[in-house]
Amino acid sequence: MSVTWNDNTPIYLQLKERVVTMLLDGLLKPGEALPSVRQIAAEYQLNPITVSRAYQELTDESLIEKRRGLGMYVSEGAPQKLLNSERERFLREEWPAMLTRIERLGLSLDNLLQLAKKERAE
Amino acid sequence: MNAPVIAARGLRKRYKGQEALAGTDFDIPRGRIVGLIGPNGAGKTTALKAMLGLIPFDGQLSVLGLDPRTQRDALMRDVCFIADVAVLPRWISVAQAIDFVEGVHPKFDRKKCEAYLAKTKLTPKMKVKQMSKGMIVQLHLALVMSIDAQLLVLDEPTLGLDIIYRKQFYHDLLEQYFDENKTILITTHQVEEVEHILSDLLFIRDGRISLAASMDEVGERFSEVMVTPALADQARALKPLDERQVFGKFVFLFDGIPRAQLLELGEVRTPGVADVFVATMKGTYQ
Repeated sequence: MSVTWNDNTPIYLQLKERVVTMLLDGLLKPGEALPSVRQIAAEYQLNPITVSRAYQELTDESLIEKRRGLGMYVSEGAPQKLLNSERERFLREEWPAMLTRIERLGLSLDNLLQLAKKERAE
Repeated sequence: MNAPVIAARGLRKRYKGQEALAGTDFDIPRGRIVGLIGPNGAGKTTALKAMLGLIPFDGQLSVLGLDPRTQRDALMRDVCFIADVAVLPRWISVAQAIDFVEGVHPKFDRKKCEAYLAKTKLTPKMKVKQMSKGMIVQLHLALVMSIDAQLLVLDEPTLGLDIIYRKQFYHDLLEQYFDENKTILITTHQVEEVEHILSDLLFIRDGRISLAASMDEVGERFSEVMVTPALADQARALKPLDERQVFGKFVFLFDGIPRAQLLELGEVRTPGVADVFVATMKGTYQ
């Protein structure tokens, strides 16, 4: 498999982000088994330490868990936990920036809201 | 367990007045995948030959706690080697090669080797002279991965192979061979191909190790900054290793300058191993 990594973020974080995206998109479901460190290392041609580090981060955030002798699994509450943290991040980081931009462009929130409602109705 | 797998102190080798290794020091810890990278004639192959006990040398060199000069037989139980020049005899068949290795190597696992070969197009009766270069490397890898050795030395293992064989080679090595008790030492010119597999980097230049660092350290030490012409002199004052021009901007490569300081000059990125290699080896052939 051919994957391109960007140079600005450590690869273990990019790998972690990939798993997070798969969780958010529902491609990985709670209770599902994850591939082993060895499989991922071979598939993506990465050092096993890099892969372990990504799994460690996901474990620390309780998104995945180790089942003794069986391997890594997606935690039961993972999607909800992610949704909560992503919502928080949106409100903290993305929304204020978006609001500034809306104001700078001279758009009003009420107008935008009405537009959105109209579009949805159609 | 924490003792290095390979430790060299003042390692020196002279060929008829030509110094191939100039009294160099390095350590290779256990459970790592180490890239030994250097330009042609830097001393890579000489260093490997010394480790494998294939040549006499001066200075100290310990491999798995043994001296390759005097304890080569004991050493060969735990070291495997794939050279860039395929050394399997042309008349030998797959079955004969397996029989031979089983006969000479106490740590060879025939079942493992056969299981691996079953997944390839190689058949027991096939002779080396009928094989493509990629197939010969596959056979070599099958034999070597089936030996439970502690140290695997690969000298340009994928030289001359097409991209499918090259990917497959590292895939199989990671999936079926490497674990935290094994150590792999790779020399290669195809730096981009192995850079994410490596845990440590050794650069060799003019017979000396010029850089020894883990990949994490490499990522922390080296940065590349894109600078507008107005700030170029300010960047030069920080003594970059290298500078080049792209689209009217300057790209500087720094060693050991804190990121925060570089961010004031422009956009910072982590250079690839190939970029660091080219910058640190500048002037080698001049």
